[in-house]
Amino acid sequence: MKVTLATYGGQAAVADPRLPPRELDSDALPGNAAAELSRLVAQAVAAPQEGGGGRAADAMSYTITVEDGARSTVLTQSDAAMSLAFAALLTWLEKYFAKR
Amino acid sequence: MSRTRHVNCVIPPYILEKLLESDDRQVRQAALDTLLTTARLRGERAVRASFAAAASANGRRTVFDCEQGRFLQLAVLARSEDGPPATDEAANRAFDALGLTRDFYQEVFQRNSIDDRGMRLDGYVHFAVKFNNAFWDGREMVFGDGDGVKFGDLTRSLDVIAHELTHGVTDFTAGFEYHNQSGALNESISDVFGTLVKQWSLKQSVEEADWLIGTEVWTPGIDADALRSMKAPGTAFDNAQFGRDPQPDRMSRFVHMPDTEEGDHGAVHYNSGIPNKAFYLTAKRIGGFAWEAAGLIWYESLKVSQADFQFQDFADTTYRKAGELFGAGSTEQSAVLAAWREVEVPISGIPTGVARARSLAVDGSDGAGREDGVAALGRQLSALSTRVAELADDVAALKRAR
Repeated sequence: MKVTLATYGGQAAVADPRLPPRELDSDALPGNAAAELSRLVAQAVAAPQEGGGGRAADAMSYTITVEDGARSTVLTQSDAAMSLAFAALLTWLEKYFAKR
Repeated sequence: MSRTRHVNCVIPPYILEKLLESDDRQVRQAALDTLLTTARLRGERAVRASFAAAASANGRRTVFDCEQGRFLQLAVLARSEDGPPATDEAANRAFDALGLTRDFYQEVFQRNSIDDRGMRLDGYVHFAVKFNNAFWDGREMVFGDGDGVKFGDLTRSLDVIAHELTHGVTDFTAGFEYHNQSGALNESISDVFGTLVKQWSLKQSVEEADWLIGTEVWTPGIDADALRSMKAPGTAFDNAQFGRDPQPDRMSRFVHMPDTEEGDHGAVHYNSGIPNKAFYLTAKRIGGFAWEAAGLIWYESLKVSQADFQFQDFADTTYRKAGELFGAGSTEQSAVLAAWREVEVPISGIPTGVARARSLAVDGSDGAGREDGVAALGRQLSALSTRVAELADDVAALKRAR
């Protein structure tokens, strides 16, 4: 399973577009981490998408793309409107990329 | 059948969020239920508090600590208007900056908080983990700590905090739609009043001010002056990691991007450079303290602008307001005229030759004899233009009344 995180907008909007989306392959993760990621992805995919905050001034938005075999799922949410499950997945990914 | 017991407000939110990752489905469900219940209760308290104090709050400040969480409903109180200073410096910085911004609007424009009716000022610090941003969510201002690599703590920047609060003022006045040119105006207004709050707090003249937004945001390790430059859009940073500041300073350099989240809602953080430069040029030509004349013209224009305004609409409004406030043909109105002309948004209805002559006159680089005749003609045309605009407003008002 390949997971990609793209971040847009916010105060650094004029600088961040130059940064490429960050991605990871769950095959390269230790067993526990891969299982944890799979669980968080499943919860985020199942959770209802939050709406209504897309135009909040300076808010950042996040697109998480999950490619699992031939299946691709795209989740997009914003700082101003985010489900608990999406936030948990986003936080996990940000911590993972920060350590890498 | 299992039952879930709620333990409201006792377990710190970061532990609850960790429990959401548990292997045990019942533990995950209990954590989720607790988070939702706590959020609902806190939300209800916040709503009740808002109703109770809305009419007479006079911009009372409350700062909450998100404790690195992403849900404002779970944040804990860090400092209130009547309480002692917090032990957390970020909370104190946000509290002080919100107060300065509130006082600026009150003392300079006699505006009573965000909505001019004393709306409470709620700020949230320590949002998410290593969050490189600050935003206005339609009711509150939210600040991250920065990742310490690219951005530092966003509460260190007074103009960024004033920028976010001003998004609220815009919502309660013009309500500029957050996309394309109206979105760039929305961003620009926040930069204009963000820098004016900083200049006002430091008692800086136009010449003394740095006209930079977010000088404290980049970490020392990043070779950058600020997030944006109003004096010279496109020059705030230029380094190997982030490239060159892409903000345009005139219409011929307007940045075209899609009206999507990926496209910064039509490049709102890019094209704000154009009206930003227009404001800087206006203030520079008038001189003195920027908040006194240029700031007043922009503020009064904001109050009568409409949500779908384009740059041209706002430019024309500032020109008309300058005439109403300082007189047709005044130095202030000529400064507005020249500024917009320089960023390639010429004021509607003013012949190019007249605009150029008045620009030269206000810059002090024209001969006095030539100024007399051309300026007199300019003043007459300007007065006529202002009168026509007033008549148009009257006609529109009559139509609405019918």
